[in-house]
Amino acid sequence: MIDIKDLTCTFNAQIILQNINLNIQSHLCILGANGSGKSTLAKAICGLIEQDGEVSINATDIKEFSLIQKAKLISYIPAKLEIYDSFISLEEFVLLGRFAYKRSFFEYSDKDKDIAQETLEFLKISHLKEHAVCSLSSGEQQLSLIAQALTQQSQVMIFDEPTANLDPHNTKIIAQYIKGLKERHQVILITHDLHLASYFDADVAFIKNKALTLYTQNFFNDATLSELYDVKFKGLVAQYD
Amino acid sequence: MTKLFIWFALLGIVLTSPFIGAVNLELSEILNPESLANKIFFDLRIPRVLFAFFAGVILSLSGLLFQTLFRNALMTPYTLGISSGAVLGAGIAIKLGLGSLFFGIAAISVFGFLGAIFTVFLLIYLSQYLQNAQHTSLLLLGIALSLFYTSALMIVFYLGSAMQNDMLIRFTMGSLSVIGWTHPLMLGVISALLFLSVYLYRFELELLSISKSQASLKGVNTKKTTLTLLMISSLGIGTLVSISGPIGFIGLIVPHIVAKLHPSTVKNRIVKTALFGGFFLVLCDTITRALTTQSELPIGIVTALIGGPFFIYLIISKVK
Repeated sequence: MIDIKDLTCTFNAQIILQNINLNIQSHLCILGANGSGKSTLAKAICGLIEQDGEVSINATDIKEFSLIQKAKLISYIPAKLEIYDSFISLEEFVLLGRFAYKRSFFEYSDKDKDIAQETLEFLKISHLKEHAVCSLSSGEQQLSLIAQALTQQSQVMIFDEPTANLDPHNTKIIAQYIKGLKERHQVILITHDLHLASYFDADVAFIKNKALTLYTQNFFNDATLSELYDVKFKGLVAQYD
Repeated sequence: MTKLFIWFALLGIVLTSPFIGAVNLELSEILNPESLANKIFFDLRIPRVLFAFFAGVILSLSGLLFQTLFRNALMTPYTLGISSGAVLGAGIAIKLGLGSLFFGIAAISVFGFLGAIFTVFLLIYLSQYLQNAQHTSLLLLGIALSLFYTSALMIVFYLGSAMQNDMLIRFTMGSLSVIGWTHPLMLGVISALLFLSVYLYRFELELLSISKSQASLKGVNTKKTTLTLLMISSLGIGTLVSISGPIGFIGLIVPHIVAKLHPSTVKNRIVKTALFGGFFLVLCDTITRALTTQSELPIGIVTALIGGPFFIYLIISKVK
């Protein structure tokens, strides 16, 4: 359970989010225009940025967790793979998710390696494990990031625009995995992809003018969408089932 | 094949290096403990080879460390102005005519060390004001500092006497010439310390080579890791530069050469980078001694002359 109280975030002396109050019991989809503060909210939940107010997970303030404890609690999947090391293989990359469980200074254990292997098989990318991550396609890279996050075995998984760079087919694959993860994790999905959002099927938090509105139902209808995005909608079409 | 050949060639040169120099040494003479050859071999040549090896380890590991921590292929203690800081410190010591300060440690060394350490602290302090600690900005800061130090050094030159300036020029060219075992042992301890800390932090470094925010989300204390490793590396660089003067190019090229020879994640390249750096500097030093006629060729010139073309060759070719 994530509880956000009076959260205000500023960046470069500009207020991005103001007085956000939100209680996330289960899954959540965060929507809003570019630059509205969706990612900022996600980073605040991860405790990555300076913030006023309180964010607590399981009734404990996020600031009180050590980095290791936090890694076991939350995983954050960025929109795009950022990588300086151009040699690291998929297998090694996915194993990095086990850092928080590893004994300091020692190698990753066989158990860690098994978990990484199972994750690769679960996402059907184990045939790529020898490949350098930076040589993979965008869709495969997104799956690599999800695999790495899954080995963290965290309670909360935050996806930041997971389908931003993907074609419709890869979007469908990622969408199905993300929806499937709802069974075992608390999933927070940030996206612009309304098809994905509606398929994901959870409460919607819409961020506009530094404030947040929670929609528990009746969000994906032409009238609401047209009003919020200032674009005429005539029904959503893509089917990921 | 090429890989193995390069490693064996380097190893061969390192093993024969103590026998090469201005004076030819016969094995039978070396083994006679009373002979001059024995003294040259054990008090000059062996310490010098070891000193060069440890210096190479410190320079190349620091290069690998800086490049990984800041995720920038151009980051080295040299490009960040840390070496220039040491040179300026040494220059001031020479200008002030300071001989030995405490316990016979040369003032040049003490001031050189202080110059390097001061620069590191200055960089760490200034980097707080960089937007999101952008690493290109840090590199620019380092370059600006280098230029500033160079100008300050020009003032020292301008004010110095001919003799002082001669000492200073020799210092800036770098030299691995050591007498006795004090300096090699000192550098040995520091390079062991640096190697050990880099090796112990190899998993943190592997994560930091992906991205800083991801590393911290996986549980790495990025601030503590970065600061600890930077301090130890600066200690090594400060000590080295204060004894030998600045030696460029090794820290920049060795990590890249090893990455080309052994394309693998950073944690698998630590041992190889340290060894290659040590071997490579011994090779360069052997060349300076082999070419010696009246006086020795400065080491910095040789590292750049060999390293530069080899580096360019590696960038444009693919070593299988």
